[in-house]
Amino acid sequence: MSNATDDAEFAGDDTAQIATGNSFVSDLRISLKRWLVKSTRNPFVTFSSLVQPVIFFVLMAEVFGAMAGGTLSQSLGADVDYVTYITPAIMIQSTLAAAAVSGIGVVDDMESGMFDKILVSPMNRGALFLGNVLSEVVRIAVQTLIIFTLGYVLLTLESGASVEGYLQTGVPGLVGILVVAVVFGGVFMAYSNVVALVTRDREATVMIANLLTFPLLFVSSAFVPLDALPAWIRSVAVVNPITYGVDGIRAFMLGRDVLTVVEVTAFSGIWNTVVPAVAVLVGFNLVFGAIAVRLLDRASKVSVK
Amino acid sequence: MQSPQLTSRHESTGDPPEQQLAIDAENVHVTYEDGTEAVRGVDLAVPNGEFFGFLGPNGAGKTTTIKTLATLLRPTRGTVRINGYDAVDSRQAVCKSIGYMAQETSIDEELTARENVRFACELYGVPAAEQDGRIEELLDLVNLGDVADERAETFSGGMKKRLDAATVLVHQPPVVFLDEPTTGLDPEARVQFWNYLEAINERGTTVFLTTQYLEEVDRLCDRLAIIQDGEIVAADSPDALKGVVGGDVLELTLAEPTTEADRAARIARRSDALGDASVETTDTGVTVTSEQAREAVSDLFVSLHEADIAVTGLDVRSPTLDEVFLSVTGESPEGADRDTQRTPATTQEVAQ
Repeated sequence: MSNATDDAEFAGDDTAQIATGNSFVSDLRISLKRWLVKSTRNPFVTFSSLVQPVIFFVLMAEVFGAMAGGTLSQSLGADVDYVTYITPAIMIQSTLAAAAVSGIGVVDDMESGMFDKILVSPMNRGALFLGNVLSEVVRIAVQTLIIFTLGYVLLTLESGASVEGYLQTGVPGLVGILVVAVVFGGVFMAYSNVVALVTRDREATVMIANLLTFPLLFVSSAFVPLDALPAWIRSVAVVNPITYGVDGIRAFMLGRDVLTVVEVTAFSGIWNTVVPAVAVLVGFNLVFGAIAVRLLDRASKVSVK
Repeated sequence: MQSPQLTSRHESTGDPPEQQLAIDAENVHVTYEDGTEAVRGVDLAVPNGEFFGFLGPNGAGKTTTIKTLATLLRPTRGTVRINGYDAVDSRQAVCKSIGYMAQETSIDEELTARENVRFACELYGVPAAEQDGRIEELLDLVNLGDVADERAETFSGGMKKRLDAATVLVHQPPVVFLDEPTTGLDPEARVQFWNYLEAINERGTTVFLTTQYLEEVDRLCDRLAIIQDGEIVAADSPDALKGVVGGDVLELTLAEPTTEADRAARIARRSDALGDASVETTDTGVTVTSEQAREAVSDLFVSLHEADIAVTGLDVRSPTLDEVFLSVTGESPEGADRDTQRTPATTQEVAQ
């Protein structure tokens, strides 16, 4: 690191100077700010964060709710409304939509030259990427809260005033929901960055993200209790991260153990779902994250020492 | 006086002391993963405050060299020192003391002009109190003050290029690397940009510039180097390099060039006054390059008159850098680099 005394040594005159650079935290803040501003500028982001979840939520609650009501009563009892049941699925679906295209940011930066521009600057590389990740985390948290509120509104409209039981675990449960959503988002952010860094192509990244992620929603416990689904879907659901994301959030919403793909009884109540679900998601994070970090490191290895 | 030979600066006497070198490259080789030797043993010694031009035909290694100097590529062999810092071992220190403008315009189109410059300020840690003033000043300098709060995606190519240039200079670095900064600018914007570069150079900034425009080098640069096939083939001041062409250029326009140009050329070749001259026929007449071109004008004119060849125009001038370039590299400087440019994807993969 250079310091102030270097200025005098190398400055051509009193105007030229050695830049001071920043601390890691400042670098992170600068990077995060840029990504957040970019998010608000992008109509695609607004659509997939706000408009799409609303449409999905309303349509699925109405259509699937009409069909799945009976199945739901059999699996979970008559007191669980379908709106409450699929709120976690919509949260996960929106998180997925946001996270699965997050790799576009890196590809865009490479195409626009911003990547090189930042590489020749003193900015910390870790801060560069972490800023992107944090902006997605912010977006996921905001989306999740919006959907949470929306679910409440839908339930109120449907069943009049009696909406107690929407969130069984209270404010701590809401924090838990956000944690599960973010950890789940991490899996697909990492996955998306891997795809982006391998293809280095914006369109390919979007296409592969959509191709894989949309069907994944249906081969999970997202919309219908698994015991009502064919055996092959139940088998796929065991290795599908969406199952763990949805069940993790659902446990907080319903205040009970809802995980059926693996039977855990070591803890009590919702923790029999939350602990294994988060553990599996962290595992996915570690695998995809390690690959993504490796690829990112390689992409910036051009110059690093 | 500049040293005549960049490659032998340690032996020459007119060189600045070592620590005064803004750019100091020794025996730099850059080999890509596919085995392409883009740069093969380049030596450069650019003193503080110099305006240095870097020329070469398509794919000669200009961009690879400038990226290596700016720390974006790591030299396969050899050393690069910028402002006294090693580009590999003290990369961070080098990053803080340089500005780099890539050949491809590099701005964030989703941000406004002001936000782009502010982001650059923040990247380099320009104190918050100074940012507003500096942003204002830079945007005015590149004539984007009126559109400061509009998103860059609405800008023309030239405007984007100017915005990019503004972001390179936010931290007032002692050394700036500019890879074809004026390509794609209209003539008026180019002159504005030249004025700007002259201004920062006068303030003491060392400028390292690659370009396709030789008039740019002629006007701006104290010295230049020409690279070909990854090796520097000539390096000196523009005037000194013009000397290598072999004298002044005499252009004769004939009344009947199609029928009489060959005859006129024979007379010029036989002329004792012109001495060892190079003579070529052109569409309009004859071009003679000779050390004695100026002294021999009247003799040649008389000889042609005696041979009944009507001369309608006559011009004696110094050689241009285009002629220097042609004579040194055997290639015309015109062709743009674009076709042979590597994509960013492959430049990432330098053999370590």
